[in-house]
Amino acid sequence: MIETITPAVCGSRRRRRIALIIFALAAVASAALVGVALGTLGLLLGGTAAIAAAAVIAGLAALRELGVVRFPLPQSRRQVPQWWHARLPLPVWSAGYGAGLGAGFFTFQPVATFWVACAAAVALGRPLAAGACFALYGVGRAAMVVAPARREPEVTAAVERLARLRPALVRANGLVLAACAVTLAVAPAAGAGGMKLGPTGLNLDPTASKKVFAHTSGAKADAQVIVRPPGAPPIPFAGSSPSLHGALLAYEEGPDVRIVRWATGEEVARMPDASKPQLRWPWLAFRRDMDGGRKYLRLKNMKTGQARLVARVGPNADLGRPALHRGRLAWHTAGPKGSRIVLYGLDSRRKRIVVQTKIALLANPALGGPNIAWTEQRRTGSKLFVNRIGTKRIRQIARTKQGNRVFWTTALDNDFAYVTRWFVPERTARINKIRI
Amino acid sequence: MRRPEAMLDEAGGALAASLASGLTRRSFLGRVGGALLGVVGGSAVAAAVRPDEAEAFHFCGHIWTTGSCPTPYTLPRIDRRGYPIRPKDARPIDNLGRLVDANGFPITEGGQRMTGPDGNPLPRGPRTRVCEDWVPERFGIDAVTQGSWYRCCGGQIRKLVDCCSRSRRRINGDASLVGYCYTGRRVFCVMYYDTGLPC
Repeated sequence: MIETITPAVCGSRRRRRIALIIFALAAVASAALVGVALGTLGLLLGGTAAIAAAAVIAGLAALRELGVVRFPLPQSRRQVPQWWHARLPLPVWSAGYGAGLGAGFFTFQPVATFWVACAAAVALGRPLAAGACFALYGVGRAAMVVAPARREPEVTAAVERLARLRPALVRANGLVLAACAVTLAVAPAAGAGGMKLGPTGLNLDPTASKKVFAHTSGAKADAQVIVRPPGAPPIPFAGSSPSLHGALLAYEEGPDVRIVRWATGEEVARMPDASKPQLRWPWLAFRRDMDGGRKYLRLKNMKTGQARLVARVGPNADLGRPALHRGRLAWHTAGPKGSRIVLYGLDSRRKRIVVQTKIALLANPALGGPNIAWTEQRRTGSKLFVNRIGTKRIRQIARTKQGNRVFWTTALDNDFAYVTRWFVPERTARINKIRI
Repeated sequence: MRRPEAMLDEAGGALAASLASGLTRRSFLGRVGGALLGVVGGSAVAAAVRPDEAEAFHFCGHIWTTGSCPTPYTLPRIDRRGYPIRPKDARPIDNLGRLVDANGFPITEGGQRMTGPDGNPLPRGPRTRVCEDWVPERFGIDAVTQGSWYRCCGGQIRKLVDCCSRSRRRINGDASLVGYCYTGRRVFCVMYYDTGLPC
């Protein structure tokens, strides 16, 4: 087909250049659209199943390229319609050829790499990134037409020279696909694994600050806060619901919230009759349960003593563990009428509802970097969402597919989201770390 | 002299029986009769409804093609106020499918308060009406419970309820039917309530 675009067919060198440009643009655009569509499909599907499927496909493709197994590839062996350039205007047929070849599905596939790329685009689950990657396929398609034409007058000779390198190229392709299969296979474990914590099988309430991580291990009277500095032994405190900020740790101890220097255990401050602390020194956000089942969310400057009531709910509703970061406070309210995630500016004192629903249970927001995260629980499972504050785009970054696998408390830093995964029948919980 | 309540019951039963036997799908009296039947007495309803096995489409009594309203479970069983209940035993559930007690707190099968991983009792979760709350949020349309009809299912009277909206598309994705809806609305999805009255 490529020999179709010649000065003789196009009518002049100038028209040939125009045809090549249009062909190239159409090939790149078409390939990018395919990538966007596949990435969108992956976004909708979600989960790690797509990554596993891509790893399997890459592995099979590698075996095929290396000659271990043989199976036909899905492809179309048809040529582009020759009559197009005879009957259609130049911009139309050159764009049509480019779009058809750029899409990849309507052409001959000498190797399996295209299908591995499709599976990987679905697994990526990011339409724009997948579109950008696939656009490179279109660039390659266009380069096969444009580059040889620039170097020598007979394009088919260039293709035949390339074809003589096929055995070496196929072997190299097989090895690259094998490496892809391995990379994809370990990706879920690397990206979204359960952290190896302890000392019990019940680990929840993650919090992170400057590479230091802390969490609760155990429940009720057996609960301990475990602070894990990098490269140092874990430091336990009797209590629960920790919040780290630099050298300071706030946590529930009995009916109070205690603030200590975690390295030494020295108490810095204590807030009586408080729970669910969030510390961004000197600010402490906490919940206080009032008479009659009411719950108050309070914010106090531990240096100046200035305090304010940020939110309150009645006995029928729940007020969740708050998150505090960069002058913003987030929390959830939930009750029989629905649930919502609320964001509050410490300076502006304005509240904004980030998301709300009458159906699902939205809970446990976390703030980190420019993002806010929260969990959504339904009968069929839980999801973890992330939103860049100030934008409308909400991204699902994790999910469970069973109702008895519930996402619980969360934490965020610049690179990772941490979410407690509660295994309800087993009465265990572990913390998953997910790259965002 | 008979007691007043017995006289009332007899009169109500006669009225209910005549209404039930005069039902047509598009009858205004059918809609009114449906409400009166519930007020007047179950025995009248039982007498009017023949105890045949009702044809079933995807659940007993539903002989048309409109799909079920979204609920925590597959079958769209509701209580008399339109809140979801567990299909197999009619126990109240919240939107997450958890059994709940009279105060709305999640409980186990044995009736104890469910606790979270931290050992504390779980707070109330959302429990909202299937037609008036779930459908508008899921599908972006307004919806109200309107018409209903009755069938004998499993030896008891089942009330099948239309969730009606102004949408021309129903939950199946194709064109909606008028069904028992009125004031310009059409059936978006269906639900059912088991009265427990024998038939």
